[in-house]
Amino acid sequence: MKYSYNWLKKLSGTKKTPEQLAELLTMKAFEVEGIEKMENKLSGVVAGKISAIQKHPNADKLQLVSVDIGGKKLNIVCGASNIKIGNIVPVALVGAKLPNNKEIREAEIRGVKSFGMLCAEDELGIGKNHSGILILGKKCKIGTPIVKELDLDDTIMEIKVLPDRGHDALSYIGMAREIAAMDGINFKYNFKKLYKSSSRKIKISIENKKLCQRYVGAILKGVEIKESPIWIRMLLRKSGINPINNIVDATNYVMFETGQPLHAFDFEKVKNGEIIVRLAKKGEKIKLLDETERILFKEDLVIADSEKALAIAGVMGGMESGISENTKKIVIEAASFDCVNVRKTRLRHNLSTDAAIRFEKEIDPNLAELAMARVLEIIGISNRKTLEIKDIYPIKASPWKIKLDLCYVKKLLGENISVGNIVRILNLLDLKLSGKGNIVNVKIPTFRIDLKTQEDLIEEIGRIYGYEKIKSQAPKVNLKTAEVNSQRLFERKAKEILAGIGFSEIYNYSFCSEQDVKKIHLNVVKHLRLENPLNSDQVFLRASLVPGILKNVRENLKYFKNFRIFENGRIYKKSNEVLPNERKMLTGAIVLENQKEGIFYEAKGCSELLMNNLGIENYCFESIKEVDSFWHVGRSAEIKINQKTIGRVGEINPQVLKDFGVSKRVACFEFDLRVLQKNTILVKTYKTISKYPTVIRDVSVVSQSRIKADDILKNIKKNGGTLVRDVELFDIFQKENKNSFAYHIKFGAGRTLENQEVDNLMQKIISALEKDLGVEIRK
Amino acid sequence: MKQKILNIKNQALEDIKKAKNSRDIFDLRVKYLGRRSEFNKILKSLKDLLSEEKKNIGALSNQTKIELEKAFVNAEENIKTESFDTEAERIDVTIPGKKIEQGHLHPITLIQNEIEDIFTAMGFEIADGPEVENEFYNFDALNVPKNHSARDMQDTFWIDSKKGILPRTHTSNVQVRYMEKHKPPFRIIAPGRIFRHEATDSTHEHTFHQFEALIVGDNVNVANFKYIAEQFFSRFFNTEVTVRLRPSYFPFTEPSFEFDISCTMCGGKGCSGCKNAGWIEIGGAGMVNQNVFMAAGYSRNKFQGFAWGFGLERLAMMKYKIDDIRLFHSGDLRFIKQF
Repeated sequence: MKYSYNWLKKLSGTKKTPEQLAELLTMKAFEVEGIEKMENKLSGVVAGKISAIQKHPNADKLQLVSVDIGGKKLNIVCGASNIKIGNIVPVALVGAKLPNNKEIREAEIRGVKSFGMLCAEDELGIGKNHSGILILGKKCKIGTPIVKELDLDDTIMEIKVLPDRGHDALSYIGMAREIAAMDGINFKYNFKKLYKSSSRKIKISIENKKLCQRYVGAILKGVEIKESPIWIRMLLRKSGINPINNIVDATNYVMFETGQPLHAFDFEKVKNGEIIVRLAKKGEKIKLLDETERILFKEDLVIADSEKALAIAGVMGGMESGISENTKKIVIEAASFDCVNVRKTRLRHNLSTDAAIRFEKEIDPNLAELAMARVLEIIGISNRKTLEIKDIYPIKASPWKIKLDLCYVKKLLGENISVGNIVRILNLLDLKLSGKGNIVNVKIPTFRIDLKTQEDLIEEIGRIYGYEKIKSQAPKVNLKTAEVNSQRLFERKAKEILAGIGFSEIYNYSFCSEQDVKKIHLNVVKHLRLENPLNSDQVFLRASLVPGILKNVRENLKYFKNFRIFENGRIYKKSNEVLPNERKMLTGAIVLENQKEGIFYEAKGCSELLMNNLGIENYCFESIKEVDSFWHVGRSAEIKINQKTIGRVGEINPQVLKDFGVSKRVACFEFDLRVLQKNTILVKTYKTISKYPTVIRDVSVVSQSRIKADDILKNIKKNGGTLVRDVELFDIFQKENKNSFAYHIKFGAGRTLENQEVDNLMQKIISALEKDLGVEIRK
Repeated sequence: MKQKILNIKNQALEDIKKAKNSRDIFDLRVKYLGRRSEFNKILKSLKDLLSEEKKNIGALSNQTKIELEKAFVNAEENIKTESFDTEAERIDVTIPGKKIEQGHLHPITLIQNEIEDIFTAMGFEIADGPEVENEFYNFDALNVPKNHSARDMQDTFWIDSKKGILPRTHTSNVQVRYMEKHKPPFRIIAPGRIFRHEATDSTHEHTFHQFEALIVGDNVNVANFKYIAEQFFSRFFNTEVTVRLRPSYFPFTEPSFEFDISCTMCGGKGCSGCKNAGWIEIGGAGMVNQNVFMAAGYSRNKFQGFAWGFGLERLAMMKYKIDDIRLFHSGDLRFIKQF
């Protein structure tokens, strides 16, 4: 909320400068988000009293005005018609410079000399009104600078009131109370007592007492709708709202001053003079002051007459019953509406008004009466005969008590604040202590709705005492090692390994579009959908990291030819549980400039290196089974351990790449980190290094059919038996539709092998290959 | 005998000069100084000589041996340096080295690792929770009831607002989840991804990363929070940092604070980095609200603890001087490769 520094100063009695006050508030109460000195270019404008008005001899629409500016009279030519003798008006003297950069000079207007200018609001830069000269209050001192008279030498402070203090601090009185407490002064504000007529003529009823704890209604007769006095208009402007008329301005003014939202409406528009607080009827309509028509919900609370809704309670008034120029008889309402209901209603109708913002923070019902007295004072009700008041307040709010353990203050803050100091601080905040010993009772005034627990009080003590005075202190904790989060360690290790072999880590959003889902052949129905997405690209929660990664590939191809990227993030799938199935995936992608190299094998090699380094063994690769998939079915594999899939590696389906606008082949691998982790061998065991030499023999296998390398390897191992220590494929080439695979076969044993022995084994292996697989052995 | 030794010496020196490689030198060494060499025979025969002669010949032999050894070492040295033509093989060492492709971890990962390491060193456990959460753990259990205006403080994406399923708005959902399964005392941190229904610009993101720290025990207090925060930030920024607390409001803590750290550039004197404030706003914190303990099944006023949280992006932006938060989720390698 925007606060006038001058007004706060006047109410609180502080002697601090705006800057000092901002610092103090920020450290002890609320953050001051801005302090702005009001622009003040009005030097040379003073208050003057009109002593004579004559017609201009040469112009019908001009007048010659004689103005007394204190010991001196000036003759000024003026075109405005709203001035009368005796009015006090702003006079711009010769030499004055106005905010619109107009400089006042001695001038001759149609043959008559003019020594200055009488000013309208807009010329003073304090409003838009140009309909006439600004008429100042009668108490204005003649000759004083207008800056002082209009209180223009002010600073506007934007103070961010904390959400739990909306009920008291979103007001000048509340803020002044806070400032006084910080200054160490006991704050006093003398509210006028509300005159209560015993009139039974007013027909006000509350149908739903749960949603309206109190309703104070005042009916004022013979009201004249006019412009508010300048000081009220100035204060409203400083607080950021435009003045409207004396009645509406008075209700707004009192709302800013006290924090109690008020509403005024035209009593003559109230059918049968009956005011009912009730729930809206289903489908009931109302045209609001913002000129929109709303269809009400049956949960909305309204102020109605016997026929129709007049206002949405606590949110906004109706257009029809609004105060107009012709209004003579008004109702002013100071009520207490249920905070939750106001909030729900305001959200349903997407309305945010100064009143609703305050009501939804809960308002002290005792404030209604005080605010009513104040608004009547501001409007200036002199004749009680013109006033009728009714106050419905069945269940009264009264102060409550909180038991405070004085030892707990130190225990929670870690700072030894003396009992005397605690008592002093609480007193400054109008919180009265009673009782002796360590456990005392603290009486909470009804305007501090936020104070409910001991901790709330300790916060009050701590902040006024000064958090900056609390000295940091090492905690007394049990010295023990932290429980290891093995999942996090595993993740970190996996990422480090990938980074080590050239993969850079990217982060993508958790959201994706319907197109993304369709492009990778996944089912939209299985995706979680946002009810309120920010845009159509971010409607679903991703069930795969692949779309994001393909987009990254597309974008990065603009700048890089070869690259490797990976993401380690969660995917989300619908489940039968309350919460969806969340899995943390590790997905990598490879793009190569030279595509002939066999991008699949590159990705496979990376996935093998990753698994080996993470302590995963005994995995095998099998052709992928899925048919409709984002994988290239001919060039992708499932990675399996004991028949269970632990990951996938392969090229991305070229059509999918095309759909994503990726111009190069891309190979990916994808692991579920938890599954991967489950298959790790935690402790590695050392295998003795053989003391005996190994014998290496090569075999070159030529096959015409599509025999798999893995089948050859298995066959060699099977027939070679235990003496075959390792088989390594070291060369592959294709020639005339024939595939040639060359292997190193490593023989070894716990003794030195004889040549003959190895020769025999080789013979056995070769025969088996020829017989079992029908391949040709190149000799 | 003297002449014999001199002849051997001259012959040896002559031969050493002719040696072309290490092998020649090795052979010559065996020939002239080896066990079966003429010279060794002479040395062996010294014992049969008369004392006067023994002395003279002995001295000469020794000197010869030293001389020859030296000659061999020098020759070996020469051969080594002369085995290739240095000039012919000279290369331009200023040509850039072969480019070895290396991967780069995301800056948020780096920051998160660093934070985890510092806290782990202080005995904190790393806890985790789901990113899609129900409103109980995200709101209700944290003392943010339905229809309370405090829910406005965090703009929320909803997956199912009727059932109360949402992408979590903070990592605080981990608090009650962890407390349900553990009894104090404990100290944990919970880093992770969070979501806010907010339009993006250079300083706002709808997806970012947060970090939660929670200590609960019998006597954990505000002064302790200040201490832990100072320890952490001093280590993180490698300079002494002080923490300043200001009043704030969060439903899940009471008292609640905004916390600032002294500017790491100027130490609090005021500079362009902190807009002359001397302080940098970092995050929110507070003493765990007793209602949160109640929601976790603890008795009221049995324990005390503090919780604090802040954005990893903000720390990364400070540390690496990044000026646009959207870069983190851009997937742009021109960005990632800088870390």
